[in-house]
Amino acid sequence: MSCVNVIEKDRNVIINPLKTCQPLGAMFAVNGINKGFPIVHGSQGCSAFVRYGFARHFREPSEIAVTALHEDAAVFGGRSNLVAGIENLALRFNPDIIGVITTCSSEIIGDDVYGFADTARGNLKEKLGEDADKIEIIPINTPSFVESHYKGYDNAINALVNHLARKDEPNEKLNIIPGIINPGDIRELKHILALMDTEGIFLTDISDPFDAPLRPSKTKEIPYYPKGGTTIEELRDSANSLGTVSICKYAGTGATSLQREHNVPSKIETPPIGIQNTDQFVRNISKFTGNSVSEELLDERGMLVDSMADNAARYLFGRKVAIYGDPDLTTGMARFVGELGMEPTMVCTGVKYPEFNPDMEKISKETGSDIDVLYGQDLRAVEVYLKENPVDLLIGNSDGRLIALDLGIPLIRMGFPVYDRVGYQRHSVLGYRGGMYLMDLITNTVLEKYYEPTHWKLQQ
Amino acid sequence: MPYKLLEVDKKIPQRKNHVYVKHCSDPEEEIPDCNTKTVPGSMSERGCAFAGVKGVITGAIKDVIHVVHSPIGCTSYGYGTKRYPTTPDMPNGEKFPIDNFNLKYILGTDLQESDVVFGGMKKLKKSLIEAHKEFPEATAIYTYSTCTTGLIGDDLDAVAKEVSEELGIEVVAFNAPGFCGPSQSKGHHVGNMTLFENLVGTKEPLQTTPYDVNLIGEYNIDGDLWIIKKYLEEMGINLLSKFTGDCCHDEICWMHRAKLSLVRCQRSATYIADLIKEKYDVPYIKVDFFSTKYCAENLRTIGKYFGLEEAAEKVIESRMEKVGPELEFYKSKLQGKRVFIFSGGPKSYHLSKPLEDELGMETVAVASQFEHKDGYEKMKGRVKEGTLIVDDPNSLEFEEIIQVYKPDLILAGVKEKYLAHKLGVPCLLIHSYENGPYIGFEGFVNLAKDMYSNIYSPVWNMLEFEEEPTEIEENIEIKEDSSKQETKPENTGELA
Repeated sequence: MSCVNVIEKDRNVIINPLKTCQPLGAMFAVNGINKGFPIVHGSQGCSAFVRYGFARHFREPSEIAVTALHEDAAVFGGRSNLVAGIENLALRFNPDIIGVITTCSSEIIGDDVYGFADTARGNLKEKLGEDADKIEIIPINTPSFVESHYKGYDNAINALVNHLARKDEPNEKLNIIPGIINPGDIRELKHILALMDTEGIFLTDISDPFDAPLRPSKTKEIPYYPKGGTTIEELRDSANSLGTVSICKYAGTGATSLQREHNVPSKIETPPIGIQNTDQFVRNISKFTGNSVSEELLDERGMLVDSMADNAARYLFGRKVAIYGDPDLTTGMARFVGELGMEPTMVCTGVKYPEFNPDMEKISKETGSDIDVLYGQDLRAVEVYLKENPVDLLIGNSDGRLIALDLGIPLIRMGFPVYDRVGYQRHSVLGYRGGMYLMDLITNTVLEKYYEPTHWKLQQ
Repeated sequence: MPYKLLEVDKKIPQRKNHVYVKHCSDPEEEIPDCNTKTVPGSMSERGCAFAGVKGVITGAIKDVIHVVHSPIGCTSYGYGTKRYPTTPDMPNGEKFPIDNFNLKYILGTDLQESDVVFGGMKKLKKSLIEAHKEFPEATAIYTYSTCTTGLIGDDLDAVAKEVSEELGIEVVAFNAPGFCGPSQSKGHHVGNMTLFENLVGTKEPLQTTPYDVNLIGEYNIDGDLWIIKKYLEEMGINLLSKFTGDCCHDEICWMHRAKLSLVRCQRSATYIADLIKEKYDVPYIKVDFFSTKYCAENLRTIGKYFGLEEAAEKVIESRMEKVGPELEFYKSKLQGKRVFIFSGGPKSYHLSKPLEDELGMETVAVASQFEHKDGYEKMKGRVKEGTLIVDDPNSLEFEEIIQVYKPDLILAGVKEKYLAHKLGVPCLLIHSYENGPYIGFEGFVNLAKDMYSNIYSPVWNMLEFEEEPTEIEENIEIKEDSSKQETKPENTGELA
């Protein structure tokens, strides 16, 4: 009888975290809006570190403003910084949306960001007249000392729909809350929606902003805006959709709000990684839209099944895999490696969420393998665990690269951040096609590490 | 007027005093305003004081544990951001058991709401004790205050003292919460002061020689320090202490025993050289090892100080023999290329003139995130008339500078690199390099090579789709040259 063994952190100190603070999630969400700019109400590091992180992972610029709090703000409050910051951003960048993101500092100081935003709105009205109304200023509370970046992402999506969604004519579209995933993933979701003859509203869509073409003739005007992102009209229209699917279990509040306020039914699921999770995603689309599953999509599924039939048993079966990272991706990934006949013997997430462990129990039953769940843990815990409990493969972000090197375990990069390899942000791990990509990646890694030494096995 | 209000700054006219165009007739004291608070919402590239202390100063030390007293973000962001490699070599000849310990781990207190309400000192104490238990091999523990702990008033010094007494290991508290000072520069300062006050003079070196130096402000970015170390050792000079590249905690404790301090990064570390001079009478000289000319000049100065002139000449000669011809090649390729240098601090003046004198390039603009007055004076002194000098540029200014000054290459950081690319201009990482090291003779060749490959990457000739194919000439470099020259404006500083 397979079982799940939950191992929680037994020390206070955190060593090599697998999570970060709320503001990052909110910045990520706002960067996915067309002409949307986050302004972080905090110290300069609060934006600089995140911009550094996004640049390193996506190899793209990310514009995130900051109110640059200093000692005087710590004493007297950050009112003048935030009011001036919003105005400067609005006047120079001409954005559609400004997401005002709080931090540990501004929450501790007790700044009334809603009041300050109103003041800034008033000032802009004086300077810009009617045009000021075109700029939406949306406060997003993201205290850094509460939960993690996922909570920040959830809070941002919720604030956006609460502030913008307006009931109007039904639009026959489907809202998708994608979670903290890559441009390639979002493009795959769009592809699936297209095959299901469905139009989506992504809350929000970082696919173009974080994977933008280099075409100087298109972007010669100052300021540079990346193309794409969810438009303000789409955000407003999210109240009129057929339904909302959040493929991030940890960011369902926005979906729930839309359901409560505008009767948009919602479904909150694990991301479509692998066969069964993608099947579920497709069923959800079908349910909301009434559209049947297209032959083309079924063929894609068939191609993934075909390559699993061809390769999984021969090369992958029974191999032990350890997975670490964000909770939604690790859940999806654990199920997929199980589908490949591998054993997810250890799954670690830095973020705590009540549904994580029950999900792991389901996967354990399904795969028949015991899973050690490192719950709310860090990468040091992964390292110590792996020294005692070796595995064949490690799946996770680049922060585990030195552990993998030291232990001689091949690391398959997935999640955020990946900075020591290129192109991962462009590929999808979602959908049937993402499954094919992942499976090839996993299989080729196994072949290189475990088959090359006996290379004759690779002759056919 | 030499101060210039850029088009993009019309709405924030206070930026005018930070943007300066050099004219030879200007009064000498005229430089951009600097080391002042950033304009909120301006999209500045600056970081915070915590980044300055942990990211720059202490993160390079190989045998200490870093415990960040913060909500989770600061700890996560403090991990693995700088390229500061270390060897396991310890001063007593032993090896530190964990390779690249400084790059491999970061620890933190992961403060929660209840800690913010009731104070985080108890959790810090527990965390420090656990840190020691987890890594007993570490020589010392450094702990860092952040915005949260600065605001709630946690007394890190008290906790450090208590834990230090309890564990019998040195625990040092760095009080540079993110909001203190206008930029990361404040963190450098706090780092210097803290290390000086707590460490320097507390230990004696295992042995001394008449040729002992402190190499200060060299952090071993991508191996820079190892290059300088080799030159100095070949001259017969002993690196008694490094501050802080590839260095051990104990080395800082005996910095007072050096005969001379060499200050490499003069923005982040002149503080400690001054303090050591004042208290222990160790003189210092400011050194510059970027480019062959500065490197040779400075090695000669050091040689002269110690009476090792011949040894210095030997080092210079042996290196120049090899790099001379290579640099000639790169000079022929880089001749006339317009460069915009946007460094964190001093590289803007370290590199501006060598790129012109030794590689034939034209420095059209220099900028810095956090330089102070002395740095801008040097910057101004080393650029020619008409060059733009900008303090703390923001991303719109960055775009305007690209549009107006039309650089062929930008040297900047990772936050700027991809924006430059989107505007069609190659950009090379200058904070922590691409294929470094960049210092010294060989390093300057690496830099020249990286600049060459960035500018001459064939991609820049195919940016736009053309209805009719253009013949790819055999020598694309010549084609590239002539096409660029046609569109080159004079340095008028007007929007194109």
